[in-house]
Amino acid sequence: MFIQQITNWFQTLSPDVLTRGLRVAVTIVMGLVLVRLLAVVSQRYVMKKSTLQRQMIVRKIISYTGFSLVLMAVLGELGVKLTALLGAAGIVGIAVGFASQTSVSNIISGLFLISEKPFAIGDVIRIGSTTGIIQSIDLLSIKIRTFDNLFVRIPNEKILTSEVTNITRFPIRRMDIVFQVDYGQDLSRVHRILAEIAGANPWSLDEPQPTIMLNEFKESGIEVMLGLWFAKSDFAALKNSIMQEISGRFGAEGIRFGHPLRSVQVSNNGEPARSTHSLRGAHSPRKRAVSAPTA
Amino acid sequence: MEKTGIAVWEAVEIPQKRCALWRFPLRSIWVERIQAEWHVLSLPAARREADASYRIVARAQKPPSSEWRHYLHRDGGTMQASPVLPDRPVVMRPDRALTLLPGQSTIFFLEIPVWFRLSTSGYRPAQIFEEPLTVLTRTWFGDPVNGELCWGLATRLHHSVDSVDPTADHAVCPLMIENDSETDLEFQKVCLHVENLSMFRGKRLLWTNSLHAVFRGPDQVTQMEIVHTPPGFEEGLVSVSSARLPATGWNIRRTFGMLKYFTDF
Repeated sequence: MFIQQITNWFQTLSPDVLTRGLRVAVTIVMGLVLVRLLAVVSQRYVMKKSTLQRQMIVRKIISYTGFSLVLMAVLGELGVKLTALLGAAGIVGIAVGFASQTSVSNIISGLFLISEKPFAIGDVIRIGSTTGIIQSIDLLSIKIRTFDNLFVRIPNEKILTSEVTNITRFPIRRMDIVFQVDYGQDLSRVHRILAEIAGANPWSLDEPQPTIMLNEFKESGIEVMLGLWFAKSDFAALKNSIMQEISGRFGAEGIRFGHPLRSVQVSNNGEPARSTHSLRGAHSPRKRAVSAPTA
Repeated sequence: MEKTGIAVWEAVEIPQKRCALWRFPLRSIWVERIQAEWHVLSLPAARREADASYRIVARAQKPPSSEWRHYLHRDGGTMQASPVLPDRPVVMRPDRALTLLPGQSTIFFLEIPVWFRLSTSGYRPAQIFEEPLTVLTRTWFGDPVNGELCWGLATRLHHSVDSVDPTADHAVCPLMIENDSETDLEFQKVCLHVENLSMFRGKRLLWTNSLHAVFRGPDQVTQMEIVHTPPGFEEGLVSVSSARLPATGWNIRRTFGMLKYFTDF
């Protein structure tokens, strides 16, 4: 029944309309196939050795230009006068431009980002509180995938005005492990043990040499920094192994980490304190003198 | 039949349902073949072995472990264990910093740890697995932006091949250096692109291609030449493995480490 209706409808059309419809269909199909073919050929053969980012830009330029040409060809085939349309488009463009200043700002920012190349597809970047791998760099925004598998779109304008850290730009990085050791520990022994741990770790580079710094006398202990260089792909392996090794070795050697430590002195009516209690733990009260009431 | 020394690198036939055991000074490799499956286990040596050995053992002796790796290869015939050089450049830090004075030349024999490669030599030869026989440290050669990731190794500079101990897990690389400049050549560390070198087996030692370097000053680009023929320090050398990458020269300025790039902080 339905097919019959369609057949009848086609029979009512004049041969001229049918021919034109056929030509439009062929233009669309052939045009889209050609554009797709051009994009694939350019990516696989011409831009084979280019970066992913360049490949993506070229693919998008080919696609957008190609689709525009196909659209113009189809409109021309349908008898739409392109000169009038383009004139109208100019007027509409001005109106749209005023109404979409943010988008234009994003596009211009995108052009700056593409030319400046602060990062590329596949880099790990940090913007504000968001850290992830760049999936695409487009004219309006960049798309990143976070390590907990969230998709985040960041407008280019925001990137241009924010501090962006490219974590994987350079082939090696330094990981700083900062902790405190209890007062009273033999610091030269701590230094020696840390050097041994760093030397034995398979992920830590021996050149540049590991850095061991006794940073500061802190409230709860002496702050120590162990800086280890590593190849950027070994971040997780180094982090997990070094934390285990420091904890295990310090435990075995009897070296205590610094904890918040408070002394509570109990004095009797202004007399010198007779007993002292040490309180350890994150929620220890601040140091204070407690005066016992007189009888 | 037990083999010792560098004879462990000869082709072997493993009977069905038996185990082959290679013992090296720092690592043991177990291989078992059951029909088309190859089962391989690599274990660090419980104690340092004096010499390398190979023998066939009963399956009952194979160690129980969850680390066994299983490979399927139907065309497996004779199995070939080959020594291969590491997959990255090796930065060698000599036991003493030597300075080669202008106009002088010398030859060093450097010991490079080898990797164990297991492959089949049937109708379609296939590589089954590779394993380092010595634990090497990771190191960086160059500045933090343009350097390269390498294996690091503290080594002894041998002036004569007679002082090199014959071991099955090290190859000897003859390195000839000429200082054709007006400045001292400080020999603090050297980066060898071992992935460009082939290996040869003699009666006593494993060898790599010889290297020949002419240093013309820190500002001159000088190439490290690879001598493609087997080194002439031992007779009757047999090729045991080819280079991982096609051999080309490399820039000597990035071969010798003469500057300390990093301070302690």
